[in-house]
Amino acid sequence: MIRLIVGRLLFMVPAALLIITFLFALFHLIPGDPAVMLAGDNAPRSVVDGIREAYGFDQPLHIQYGRYMAKVLQGDLGISNYTRDPVVNSVIPRIINTAQLAFLSMLFAMVVSLLLGCVSAMYWNRPLDKIVTIVSLLGICTPVFVTGLLAIYFFSIYLDWLPISGMSSWRHFILPVITLGAFQAAVLTRMVRSCMVDALGKDYITTARAKGAPELLVVFKHALRNALLPIVTLFGLGLGHTLGGSVVTETIFNWPGLGRLMVNSILTRDLPITQGSIFFFAMIFILVNLIVDLVYAWVDPRIRYD
Amino acid sequence: MDFFRRYKRDKVGIVFGALLVLLYAVALTAHWITPADPMAVNLREVFSPPSSAHWLGTDQFGRDVLSRVILATQVTVRVTSAACLFAVLTGVPIGMFVGYRGGWVEAIAMRLTDMLLIFPIIMLAIVIVVVAGPTETGVVVALGLAQAPTFIRIARGVTLAAKEELYVEAAIAAGSGWPHILVRHIWPNISTPIIVQATLTLPVFVLNASALSYLGLGVQPPTPEWGQMLNEAKDHLITSPYLIVGPAAALVVFVLSANLVGDVVQETLNPKLKKRK
Repeated sequence: MIRLIVGRLLFMVPAALLIITFLFALFHLIPGDPAVMLAGDNAPRSVVDGIREAYGFDQPLHIQYGRYMAKVLQGDLGISNYTRDPVVNSVIPRIINTAQLAFLSMLFAMVVSLLLGCVSAMYWNRPLDKIVTIVSLLGICTPVFVTGLLAIYFFSIYLDWLPISGMSSWRHFILPVITLGAFQAAVLTRMVRSCMVDALGKDYITTARAKGAPELLVVFKHALRNALLPIVTLFGLGLGHTLGGSVVTETIFNWPGLGRLMVNSILTRDLPITQGSIFFFAMIFILVNLIVDLVYAWVDPRIRYD
Repeated sequence: MDFFRRYKRDKVGIVFGALLVLLYAVALTAHWITPADPMAVNLREVFSPPSSAHWLGTDQFGRDVLSRVILATQVTVRVTSAACLFAVLTGVPIGMFVGYRGGWVEAIAMRLTDMLLIFPIIMLAIVIVVVAGPTETGVVVALGLAQAPTFIRIARGVTLAAKEELYVEAAIAAGSGWPHILVRHIWPNISTPIIVQATLTLPVFVLNASALSYLGLGVQPPTPEWGQMLNEAKDHLITSPYLIVGPAAALVVFVLSANLVGDVVQETLNPKLKKRK
């Protein structure tokens, strides 16, 4: 297990270096003079020249690259074009807001999908199962921004129960968490259901039933425990997708998270902020993936021998 | 023909297949069937609710929403078809090549692919849009490249299996070079799983294309796109909620039909799957 953890942590080093290389390449991949881009379109000549010198854009590429790499490794991702604050200072608080949204949504999706998936499998091919299947199919076909707009219309405008945007009280969490969680819940319900249908068809279930075990015990102890392995992987993948979906959800509900910061920075051409948010998003995804792998190895000892 | 005969047995497949064909027909004929000019601004008729003249109402510039939804169907079909083709054309040759050659080229390519597959499609697409620019072409490139790793993976997997076949060994013995073997002997035998994968990823393309446009990083106004129309409608949700009906319904119906048709195509080509349901 320790070897696995160390091995996977070491994998993060080349991954991080690749990402920083890509961030550096962005300066030159985006059409236009990078110095003008950092200074703003209407900046005076002297400012542009100052930035060119500070970033070394007049130097050969390998020197620029070395300088950028050194700066990022020291935790310096540049300063925002607009606020002139260090990028790291504006990105870090946003990460916490995004993590809250993604974590709660995932929790919502896990509870709903486990419940609906098990119920659906228990009533396999009966009306209740059909209803769950159709609802979850509709769920995976409805983009987050459609669910979000409908939710805003019904709960915030028509019924006037919940706030539309921001995150200043617990009531602000309800709509974004449900909007983002519902999509994931729909995806996961289908998968939990098929895992459970598989598990309920096994011989040991017949044995348990023959022994006279109550149905609830059969489903939640015998079947669910054995189906848990694939389900844990699915939940891990789901966490990644929830983080991806948070970008759109944050934009709908004006959630001050990393996703909205990234999208706004692209729209306002604030390259250092864009680079900073890409960097942190990438590191978060790699970290989440690492944790999922470790949890998987912990749940299923066979993997540790690979 | 055998494919169609078996496909016809599935009722869901017929209904949603017909719906999908209808949507593509709407897309192809969009310029002739729009009841009004989708771009014509009419400031005397802004925000008029649905009526017999404008079935889905008019937007903030007095443009007919139904006509815009119809034109947006064409935009979506154009963008997603191009992006899907782009993903197949970049991913499949790379996957076939590394799968056939093996060795360190394959090891490096697959390591990179695995790394890219960690990230959700929408994230990769947004990052590529930073470089490619928020335009229609940008969306095609972004979604195409973001989905390419999936196709690399699949093409490599099926190539690995196909290259062990006797006919490939025979071709090598006959002195064929690898480009010839890949195109003439391997491609015909791996095209089915790749077509299935392309069908199955179509709804993913549609969802992500509209998500990019919703964020303002995709198709730009005044060209109508469902996601972008919904983004504009959000600002008028209090006064004119009817604006979201058309684009939202069209988007959901398109994705639903594409999803169900993908499932049925997969089951038709691989009947073993059906029993599991």
